[in-house]
Amino acid sequence: MASPVSVYNILESHTPPTRKESLKMELLSDVSLLPGEERITDKDIIYICPFSGAVKGKVLITNFRLYFKSSDADVTVTLDVPLGAISRVEKMGGASSRGENSYGLDITCKDMRNLRFALKQEGHSRRDIFEVLFRYAFPLSHGLPLFAYLSQEKYAETGWTIYKPVEEFRRQGLPNNKWRISFINKSYDLCDTYPTVLAVPYKSKEEDLRKVAAFRSRGRIPVLSWIHRENQAVIARCSQPLVGMSGKRNKDDERYLELIREANDTTKLTIYDARPNVNAVANKATGGGYEGDEYQNAELIFLDIQNIHVMRESQKKLKDIVYPNVEESHWLSSLESTHWLEHVKLVLSGAIQVADKVSSGNSVVVHCSDGWDRTAQLTSLAMLMLDSHYRTLRGFQVLIEKEWISFGHKFASRIGHGDKNHADQDRSPIFVQFIDCVWQMTKQFPTAFEFNEHLLLTILDHLYSCRFGTFLYNCESVRDQHEVRSKTVSLWSLVNSKVDMYLNPFYTPESGRVLYPVASMRHLELWVAYYIRWNPRIRQQSPVEQRYKELLALRDEYLKKLEQLQLSDSSTSSHLANSPTPNTTSSSTSTPSQQYTHLQTPL
Amino acid sequence: MEFAEHIKTANVEDVVLRQPLQPPSRGTLCITGHHLLFSDREESDSRQVLLLLRNIDAIEKRMSGSSGTITMKCKDLRVLQLDIPGMEQCLNIAHSIETLSCLDCVSAMYPFFYRPVDLSLPEQWGLSSPEMHYSQMKELYEKWRLSTVNRDYSVCPSYPPAVIVPKSIDDDTLKKAAKFRQGGRFPVLCYYHKKNGMVIMRSSQPLLGANRKRCKEDELLLQAVIEGSDKGYIIDTRSMQQAQQARMTGGGFESKSFYDRWKRFHRQMERGKALQESLIKLVEACGDESNNMDRWLSKLENSKWLSHVQNALSTAGLLVECVERDGHSVLVHGSEGTDCSLLISTLAQLIMDPCCRTMEGFLGLLEREWIQARHPFQQRCAHSAYSHARLQQESPVFLLLLDCVWQLWRQFPLALGFSEALLLRLATEVYASDYGTFLCNSDQERCALEVKERTHCLFRALLRPTERDYYSNPLYERTELAIWPSVHPQSLQLWKGYFLRWTQQVRHLEEAQEEIRNMVIEWGKLARS
Repeated sequence: MASPVSVYNILESHTPPTRKESLKMELLSDVSLLPGEERITDKDIIYICPFSGAVKGKVLITNFRLYFKSSDADVTVTLDVPLGAISRVEKMGGASSRGENSYGLDITCKDMRNLRFALKQEGHSRRDIFEVLFRYAFPLSHGLPLFAYLSQEKYAETGWTIYKPVEEFRRQGLPNNKWRISFINKSYDLCDTYPTVLAVPYKSKEEDLRKVAAFRSRGRIPVLSWIHRENQAVIARCSQPLVGMSGKRNKDDERYLELIREANDTTKLTIYDARPNVNAVANKATGGGYEGDEYQNAELIFLDIQNIHVMRESQKKLKDIVYPNVEESHWLSSLESTHWLEHVKLVLSGAIQVADKVSSGNSVVVHCSDGWDRTAQLTSLAMLMLDSHYRTLRGFQVLIEKEWISFGHKFASRIGHGDKNHADQDRSPIFVQFIDCVWQMTKQFPTAFEFNEHLLLTILDHLYSCRFGTFLYNCESVRDQHEVRSKTVSLWSLVNSKVDMYLNPFYTPESGRVLYPVASMRHLELWVAYYIRWNPRIRQQSPVEQRYKELLALRDEYLKKLEQLQLSDSSTSSHLANSPTPNTTSSSTSTPSQQYTHLQTPL
Repeated sequence: MEFAEHIKTANVEDVVLRQPLQPPSRGTLCITGHHLLFSDREESDSRQVLLLLRNIDAIEKRMSGSSGTITMKCKDLRVLQLDIPGMEQCLNIAHSIETLSCLDCVSAMYPFFYRPVDLSLPEQWGLSSPEMHYSQMKELYEKWRLSTVNRDYSVCPSYPPAVIVPKSIDDDTLKKAAKFRQGGRFPVLCYYHKKNGMVIMRSSQPLLGANRKRCKEDELLLQAVIEGSDKGYIIDTRSMQQAQQARMTGGGFESKSFYDRWKRFHRQMERGKALQESLIKLVEACGDESNNMDRWLSKLENSKWLSHVQNALSTAGLLVECVERDGHSVLVHGSEGTDCSLLISTLAQLIMDPCCRTMEGFLGLLEREWIQARHPFQQRCAHSAYSHARLQQESPVFLLLLDCVWQLWRQFPLALGFSEALLLRLATEVYASDYGTFLCNSDQERCALEVKERTHCLFRALLRPTERDYYSNPLYERTELAIWPSVHPQSLQLWKGYFLRWTQQVRHLEEAQEEIRNMVIEWGKLARS
């Protein structure tokens, strides 16, 4: 817990006596490279650190990362940046630029930071490093493979098997007499951005599905994402109907939605259109639109969530006020003017409405324009609220694999993996926003999630890193073409091989509980540990990880002992649940063990 | 004082009570000299609400036809509503609440009547005394002594009878120095840093006045504090300009020419009315349900509450830097030395001294800095954010302290031995309490009213085993290091547990915290068994 460098004071700063151990020897020898990672080049360089000023050191570029280590003994600065996190590399200054450190490289990252390096002006010293960076940060623009294809990492667990669609449907209780599993898309010819396995109304025929596909943008027909075990209400997802200016109708589509409604006798099917009303209307001009009055027994609700461009601009504004310098004097109003939290609020409150409808027994259909951005946010968040399975470490992986990856959230376009076109209008932090919403929920329900904040940070790091195949490409059909599952490693292999790093010690499983977060601005917070994590002065202060690990161990021991007690005398189990320690007076002390005892009962 | 004369209607049947987080209930309302008691008539799940009238900050009454509605806004920020049948009854009740909730007579207040069966009046009131504190600090013996110059409160009415001063300074010098400080609050020791022997001193402003008077004895006293060191620091909690202006009204600051080995910093801290108004704005914004998403962050910013939090923490940080990092002693004062000075010296001690971070340590710290060294609680906490009364000397300095401690707790979840619940409890008790701890404005007043003989002490009650368990932090792990808070606005949060306490969401979080606490305790128990 070192003091942040004189932030309160006006005292002359006393530099602590510098340790003279030489760090200069083999400056870069401590980098442990990944299997398959190769050194490309290294170089003496100056890192212009926004927090501690110009720092001399050495940079190493591999085919996976940029690594920098300072050579000055008194300031230790290390940077370890996956090249995948880089969105833009620019030259700064020219050979004749004046001023100290004015010649070098400017690197913009996707993860809320920029890096700036200075080099000696003589002899075009930056040319080679610029070229190497440009080449390996944007391999796809140079005909090179992404690092995920070069990695030789091996893990005890294989993450690619975490999500098996048919098994997941079976967990939900499907198929049943109202819903069937269809393989109509097995060669992606119904919809090339959908997965191969779909759940559709039992009564719908294959030809109906094809007719409906013709009336839905990019063939993304309404299919089941989740079904409520008790009331059989479903969340179905799709893209917008192709109504167009002339207000076309499609009887098959209308009948198909009627089948969804009938499946559990919902009186009125609710269609949530994630867009603002005006945008939905404007979409008619390009052939899209929304469901009109011809859909009897259905109601349409707009959720007012803005599109990818608005979200991108909002995140850009957010970055402006947190990096490199945090806005100090008018922080809250500046934060307000980015509208980031307002967008988070709208996404969350949309998902709450969806979850609430479903848990009261009404089936819903969710769409936006194409049904791969806002729709994925809404369905996955609503499912997280409704189904405690998705709040476990593995269940959350399934949720992401299912609602995001398999249903064609365009990760490649939104993130721009390995692509040099930094200004691409298709890029947008939709998935980051989803993870932010999840984080908000974990803050509001600290015991409801099996995973911790570190998992969310890890996911976002590897969203960009290109070390794993998990987030590569736009949809399953493309992933199949590129043999992602056989040629790359899954992020979940890493996670599931070291689970205790990602577990929340206070997790209390409560199946069947629906979580409704509060989506009021008063209760939302900026996720400082993510958005401002590069600022050393604003980091979390105390190292809680170690303590949490100890607690996790303590909990495991506790559960083990509890199990032994129950095994040794089965009759004591009920006694134990009621009064684990007879001498405690507080009535609530019995809750944790009550909650744990049902762990032992087979689910 | 006869309470009965203020109670024309003591009982009303068929009253509907609406309170946050609960469905309305119908029952009997009863007014006593100190309480409002409501009991509903449900046979199965009978509920009672007992509210100290002192807790009520403002009431509004609305009549319609033959019945009326009384809205009661409490100092703990709760808003309750009573629907009372019968216009006259309603007016009577409202009148009783209005009068009884802000009686000035201290000796008529509830702590003098509070006699729980499981608690007998203590032999010793409070956790410690200046004498005990001194005797336990052997490190002090060499250079510091306990002076009883103030035993009859004649030198400084707001100081306790015994104070710690440099050994080389005799009582006569102290008396003279006291004349040179506002309210007689001459510099006394409030903290000794064991690691390097440096100290924090506390006082009020020196009375230089327009013609720059000086006082040899005051200079000697301060000189003695830094004996053996090259310099000391003075942290003045006013801006340079404010300190200069204070000379016009007889106050001032230590000038360089007479206190040449002291280096002075000015840190403007908001106090008094401005702080109270900030609280009012914040509470208003928190209670505004109408346009939930509209400009909430701007409103929060405009209340300036969080910048007061930031300011307090960063001034305390400066103080710690002087003592812990730079290795010099510090004198802290503003004008009266009873508000901001206490605030930052308390925070500084929490930041650097692990002994102050246990539950006993923290309560002991509060007792030394706020009760013994005298924060005028009676004046500062007469009203909270809802009151319509004209502001007098109200100022939520203690609440600001608790908020700052909460920020520390949030930034260092393992370092403090107590939990958020303790801070919430203190924030409630300071405005309305069964206990005598926060009564009166000074030790002298407390003695005159026999507070120590006739009331119970909150701090002692909080340290009873069951309460101590309840308020402990299960994740606590003692660290010897200073806990340097980050004071950037990004690192500070609204204390939702307090300001949004009566919302469903915060209630959930409270329950979750409790669940976590019980869980961790349970694991520990079984692991040891």
